[in-house]
Amino acid sequence: MSQTVQKSGSRSIGQRRWQKFKTIKRGYYSLVILTTMYILSFLLPVLVNDKALMVRYNGEYHFPAFTSLVASFPVIDQFVSVFQSGESLGQLGNPGQVRYRDLQKQYENENGDNIVIMPLYPYGPIEDITTDGNSAFMEPLVSEEGQPARLMGTDENGRDVFARMAYGFKVSISFALILVFLEYLIGIPIGGLLGFKGGYYDLIGQRILEMWATLPTLFLIIIVVSFIQPSFILLVLLLSLTAWIPITTYIRAEFYREKSKDYVAAAISIGVPTWKIMFKHILPNSLVPIITNFPFAVVAGITALVALDFLGFGLPPPTPSWGQMLSTGLQNLTKWWLVFSPMAALFATLIMIVFIGEAIREAFDPKTFSRLR
Amino acid sequence: MLQYFIRRLLFAVPTFFGCTIIVFFIVNLAPGGPYEQQVQALKAGSGFGIGSEASGTAKDGAATIPPTALAELKRYYGFDKPVYVRYLIWLGLWPRETDSYNVKLGEPRNVGEGRYVIVNQQQDGTYSIIDKDTKESQTHVWTAENAVLDSTGFRQLRVFKTEYAGILTGHFGNSYEYREPVIDLIASRIPISLQFGVIGLVLSYVICVYLGIQKALRHGSTFDLVSSSTILISYSIPGWALGLLLLVLLGGGSFFDVFPLGGLQSREYESLSLGEKILDRAHHFVLPVIASTIQSFATLTLLMKNSLLENLSQDYIRTAFAKGLKEKRIIWLHAMRNSVIPIAANIGHIIGIAFVGSFFIETTFNIEGIGKLSYYAILSRDYTVVFAFTVIGVMVNLFGAIISDFVLALIDPRIRFR
Repeated sequence: MSQTVQKSGSRSIGQRRWQKFKTIKRGYYSLVILTTMYILSFLLPVLVNDKALMVRYNGEYHFPAFTSLVASFPVIDQFVSVFQSGESLGQLGNPGQVRYRDLQKQYENENGDNIVIMPLYPYGPIEDITTDGNSAFMEPLVSEEGQPARLMGTDENGRDVFARMAYGFKVSISFALILVFLEYLIGIPIGGLLGFKGGYYDLIGQRILEMWATLPTLFLIIIVVSFIQPSFILLVLLLSLTAWIPITTYIRAEFYREKSKDYVAAAISIGVPTWKIMFKHILPNSLVPIITNFPFAVVAGITALVALDFLGFGLPPPTPSWGQMLSTGLQNLTKWWLVFSPMAALFATLIMIVFIGEAIREAFDPKTFSRLR
Repeated sequence: MLQYFIRRLLFAVPTFFGCTIIVFFIVNLAPGGPYEQQVQALKAGSGFGIGSEASGTAKDGAATIPPTALAELKRYYGFDKPVYVRYLIWLGLWPRETDSYNVKLGEPRNVGEGRYVIVNQQQDGTYSIIDKDTKESQTHVWTAENAVLDSTGFRQLRVFKTEYAGILTGHFGNSYEYREPVIDLIASRIPISLQFGVIGLVLSYVICVYLGIQKALRHGSTFDLVSSSTILISYSIPGWALGLLLLVLLGGGSFFDVFPLGGLQSREYESLSLGEKILDRAHHFVLPVIASTIQSFATLTLLMKNSLLENLSQDYIRTAFAKGLKEKRIIWLHAMRNSVIPIAANIGHIIGIAFVGSFFIETTFNIEGIGKLSYYAILSRDYTVVFAFTVIGVMVNLFGAIISDFVLALIDPRIRFR
C-alpha cells in the first residue's frame, strides 16, 4: 500500500509528461501509427517489390527480395548485388534482370516443381516502361492482362505510383530525421555557447546568426545542385547549413535564463568546468523547447525535401520521392492519381506529425486559462 | 528607445554586407555562370550574340572561338577581374568600365555621339588620349589600357570610360536574360505579386482575427475543438501542395471545372468591361490566394485566440466585470485592444510578402510575379537579377523585423526596448 503511494508520488516530471501525452489520444495514436509505419518501411523490399520473396528453380532456392532488403541499407549496398539474370532462372532469351512476375506465370504454366512467391504488392518503385507489363499512365486498379492490379496506377514512365509512394515515405522520414539530428548537433552547442557566454560573444554571434538566417537558402541550394549531382547526404548537409538557426535561438534564450539561476552559480563556485556546466547542468533543464520543437522541425524537413524535389533540385532520379511525383502530377493535371497519391501520403504524414507536436507541446507546457464567466 | 533602434539599424549594416558577400561569392564561384553558358552556346554554334563584334567572329568558326572573342566575352560579363573586385564594382565602390572600344595607336576612333579620340603612346609608356576635333586631353573621361588578350601574346589597345555605379548608388545593372534594367524588370512584376499578396493578407487577417476571437470566447467548446483540428491540418499542409490539389480537383482536368488552371486573367481580358475585369481577376485569384494564405492561418488564429484568452484572465477584466460593465463592451473595448497587439506587430512581414512573393505558388499557378522572376533568374544564372533579389530579400528581412519591433513599441506603451 505504502509502496504504491510512494511510487505514484515520486513520478518524475518526464513520467508525468508522458502520462499527459498518452491522454491526448490524437497525438498518441499518431505517434504509434507513424512509428510502426516507419519501422515497417524498412521492410518495404519484402512487402512491396518486383523481386520475388522466394524462387525455387530446379531444386535451388533464391531469395531476391531479401537480398534487396539487405541492399536497401546504405554502405552495405556497395557490397551486395541484386542482379540475377533471367536465363539463370529459366527465363529464356532474357540475359538481363529477371522479370519475376513473368517467371511466376511461366512456372505455373510449366506445372513443374518450380515456384515463385511474390511479395504482397509485386511492383517495385524503380522498374519502368522498359520492363514488360509497365505502360505509362495506367489508371488506378487497372493492370495489364493477367497481372495483379495496381493500387494507384502508373506514372509517365510506367513506374508504379503506389510503390513509389510507399518508398517515398521511408525516404522522406529518414531525410527529415537525419536533418533534424544535424540541426540539433550544430544548433545546441552554438546556442548554448552564445547564451552562456553572453557579452561580446553573444553580440557578434547574434550578428552572424542574423546574417546566416537571411541567406537565401533555397537559391543557394539550387545553384549548388546545378553543378554538383545531388545525393541524399549532400542535400541533408546543404539544408542543415541554415536549418539550425531556429534551434540556436531557442537554446540561446534558455541558456541565457538558466545561467543566472542558483544551481549554475553553485556549480561555478565549486569549479566545475564550463563545458560540464553547459551540457550536464544547464542542458537537461533546457530541453523543453528542443523536444517541443522536434516534430515541427521534422515537418519542416519533409516539406523542404518535397519542395526541392518538386522543383527538380532534390534527390537524383529515379529515387522515389513525393516531390518528384507531385511535379509529374502538375505536368499531367488530367491524370489525377499522380497528384492524389503522393499528396495523400504527404498530408497524412504531416498531419500526424503535427498532431504529435501539438500533443507534446500540450504535455510539456499545459496552459490553463482562468476566465470569468 | 531611439538608441535601441539606431543600434538595430547600425547592426543591420554588417549583416547586409556579410550576407551579400556570401551570396556573391558562392554564386560567382559556382561553375556554369553566364560567361560559361555563353561560351557553351558559341561552341555549340548557335552563337546568339552579345551585341559586340566578338560574336561576329565566333559565329563563323563555330567550334573554335578566337581568343579575342573569349576575352571580349569575359570582359562583357566582368569575369576578367578577380571576384572581390567584382563585388566592389557591384557595390559601387570600384570603378565600373562602361563604354569600351578597341583602338589602334594614332588612329582616330569613333567613341559614340560623333566624337573621335586619338590614342598615342608617350615617352614614359603611358597613353595620351586627345579629342580629334578639340585637341583637348580626354584622360579624365577615358582610360586607355593595353589589354593582354591571350597566351600567344596577342595585344590590343582599348579605351574605356569608368564610373562608380553599384547598388549603393542605386545602379542594379541590366538583366542578362531580358536585356533591360533590373529595376524596371522587378518594378513591372511587383504589382502582380502585390495584388494577391495583399488580398491574401487582408483576408487572412480578417478571418483569423474573427475566428480567433470566437475560439477564445468559446474556449473548450465543440466549435473550438473542431476548428482547432481544421487549423492544425491546414498548418501541416504546404500551401503550394494544397494549390496543386485544388488545381486537380477544381481546375478542369479530371473533376470539376470551376476555376481557371492558372495565370492572372482570361485571354479575352482586354475586351471586358470594368466590372467583368474585376470578376475575372477575382476568379483567377481564388485558388492562389487560398494556397498562399492557408499556412499562416493557424499561427494567426492561435495567436489571436491565446492573446485574447490571456487578456481575459487579467485583473483589469475582472475589475471591469466587477464594475458591472456589459460583457460585449468588456471584450471588444477592453480586452480586444490589448489582444491585437501581437497580431499588429506582424506588420513587418507585410512588406516581405509584397516584395518576395512566393515562387512555389507562382510556379504552381503560372503567375508571372516576383517569385517566378527570381526563380527563373536563378535557373538561367541571370546574376544581376539574382543579386538584386538577394539585396531585396536581405533588406526585407532586416527591416521587416525592425519595423515590427517599432510598431510594437508604438502601439504598446508597456514595451521598452533597451
